[in-house]
Amino acid sequence: MNAFRIPQGRYEITARLDDRVRALSRAKPRVNQTAFPIFAFVGALGGMGLKIKDLSEALGLAFDLGPVLARSRLSFAAPLLVDRVYAVDADIDMLVNKPSRTYGTADHLHLAIRLSTEKLHSTARLHIIFPGRQE
Amino acid sequence: MKRPFDNISGPEMAQWCELLADDNAIHLSREAASAAGYGPHRVNPGPANLSYLLSCLPPEAEETLTDVDAHYAGVVLEGDDLSATLEGERAVLARDGSALVTATFGTKR
Repeated sequence: MNAFRIPQGRYEITARLDDRVRALSRAKPRVNQTAFPIFAFVGALGGMGLKIKDLSEALGLAFDLGPVLARSRLSFAAPLLVDRVYAVDADIDMLVNKPSRTYGTADHLHLAIRLSTEKLHSTARLHIIFPGRQE
Repeated sequence: MKRPFDNISGPEMAQWCELLADDNAIHLSREAASAAGYGPHRVNPGPANLSYLLSCLPPEAEETLTDVDAHYAGVVLEGDDLSATLEGERAVLARDGSALVTATFGTKR
């Protein structure tokens, strides 16, 4: 666990926002109050207490070189619903530098980001790879 | 089930970036994408690619979904024509037959 603390954020999923994301996703219209599941990811990054660029730079990672997503694991303790405000709590699970065939070296950032109301709704575990800076 | 996702667009990428609070220039600037080795095409944000696969699930799955595990083997570029294939609990987003994103879904029984 990295000692860097990410401030708590918030994220509101409105019905209108859900409609917009479904349209961008080329998904079917909403049938009840359940938000499109990608909000476990969108709300995680969009509502995190620091923008991913600011978090990356605070950690000394090469955001300007174009990080890429390697893996995401979304888990749902309860469906995300529209017209709710969620607390967004994020932790750095791991940050390691490894040799990379593509970049020479690369920084691997592992984040866990939870969306909650009075109960936990979803957790997004993200593995993001940052190109290492060439000295 | 197989679904096409044609002509992935740069303006849609910008909308995703706004939603994600993501300033990664490879999604927004052809020059930045080119400098990062992706040629003159902007790169679609990863969550957008996953959303295409989620859109292939039947609507009732939205309430019973417990897990989504996605691996990103390649990037989606501006102008790409993609196909999404859903077979059971596994979905693949591909370009010209090459898998770019593979996702497995867990649902409540």
